Amino acid sequence: MGEVELSCRAYVKMYLHACLFPRCSINGLLLSSSPTGGTVCVTDCVPLLHSHLPLAPITQLALTQVDVWCSQTQQRIVGYYQANACVSDNSPTPCALKIADKIAEQFDNAVLLMLDGSKMSPDYRVPPIVMYERKDSRWILKDKHTIMLRQWEETRAIASQMIESGDHTLLVDFDSHLDDITKDWTNQKLNTKIEELASPANGNI
Amino acid sequence: MASVAEMYDVGWEEMRDKLRKWREDNCRNSEQIVDVGEELISEHASKLGDDIWIIYEQVMIAALDCSRDDLALTCLQELRKQFPDSHRVKRLTGMRLEALERYDEANKHYDAILQDDPTNTAARKRKISILKAQGKSTEAIRELNEYLEQFVGDQEAWHELSELYINEHDYGKAAFCLEELMMINPHNHLYCEQYAEVKYTQGGLENLELSRKYFAQALRLNNRNMRALFGLYMSASHIAASPKVSAKVKKDNMKYAAWAATQINRAYKLAGRGTKENKCSMKTVEEMLESMQITMS
Repeated sequence: MGEVELSCRAYVKMYLHACLFPRCSINGLLLSSSPTGGTVCVTDCVPLLHSHLPLAPITQLALTQVDVWCSQTQQRIVGYYQANACVSDNSPTPCALKIADKIAEQFDNAVLLMLDGSKMSPDYRVPPIVMYERKDSRWILKDKHTIMLRQWEETRAIASQMIESGDHTLLVDFDSHLDDITKDWTNQKLNTKIEELASPANGNI
Repeated sequence: MASVAEMYDVGWEEMRDKLRKWREDNCRNSEQIVDVGEELISEHASKLGDDIWIIYEQVMIAALDCSRDDLALTCLQELRKQFPDSHRVKRLTGMRLEALERYDEANKHYDAILQDDPTNTAARKRKISILKAQGKSTEAIRELNEYLEQFVGDQEAWHELSELYINEHDYGKAAFCLEELMMINPHNHLYCEQYAEVKYTQGGLENLELSRKYFAQALRLNNRNMRALFGLYMSASHIAASPKVSAKVKKDNMKYAAWAATQINRAYKLAGRGTKENKCSMKTVEEMLESMQITMS
């Protein structure tokens, strides 16, 4: 199947989401601002929940809202990510498969991404992610060689730096937004910070 | 690195009081507890009097949560010296073994406590937590059910059981646990709202109507619960859209949905006053409500 590219912004926010709620299962949506066809470029993500992932109402609400936001901003939902609370278990749960199925109904090359908690410590040099793609109504493991992270070292450094400086506490997921609706689940401020750290003017990190 | 006292311009009494508040509220802000507690213990231990023991316990548990075994061990050793035969301290020893994933040894400690004192609820709960950590959900559920047969009023245990059932997608049993919680604590809007979410997830007209009623109840108990407000809107909209309902039920539910939509819009307008980012959420919600109206009618 096709190639998938994960942007710095998408990876860093997913990573920060998992680090912000280390004791919970977390999930979110993967977005793309690129036109369809060819490589699936995941350019952004929206962190959704850190509690009661299998329950329907808030998930439905979040999917609808993100859908609307995407149509306003020329993006589309191209995938789903999840990290399980239990670090030793990184297999997709039934609710992960269900949501990913729904996304696949609207986008053929949808991806399901599981974060591997056991590989998220600073000494791990490879991206702690496992990706699945849809084939014959089933989700199967994707060939690692079809997954690209441009400038992985830089991305990894940015993620670590942001955790060090406590920036992960700035991340807002949909759950937190519902606790306080003045908080922005599109995380514009965080996006700006990531951009600043990634900009070549910043020199080597 | 600046001390907590310097960064927040607080004295040791404020730090001690903050720790007490976090204890009373049962907060799990372990990183903060470690920061404040570690400083308090290392620099102001002599001023704390007998409070120091409960602070050692609090900081030790927070330290385990943050993988600070060095700090946890220090606290534990002080507690062991002061209370050599205490079951409470033995439980803390067990928790440290759990954090180090030495589950068999931890279980031995808890079994020893239970030999001595079969009514020790803390040890029983730790054994159940170990099952959960090992991914043994079925056993954890079974043990927790047995526990609750004896300790019927234990809210924490009922809530834990409801979470376990939700993760196993056993919504019927999760609903039962939440019903027990609502009986014990009828004024808690969170239990009502969670119950409503479970009913909504179960699906079907009857469950949707129940979910709408409980979202409404949650709102009565706390009119700022946004999940309940959205839940009311969605459940009422789905009922109104169902071909199986009478014209009256349809009309009533459209009224509820319309009311909820107005409240949602108002809440977002209020929230949107200010930063540009919030205007984005407000617009998104407006559009979403409009688009759902079109599909519902």
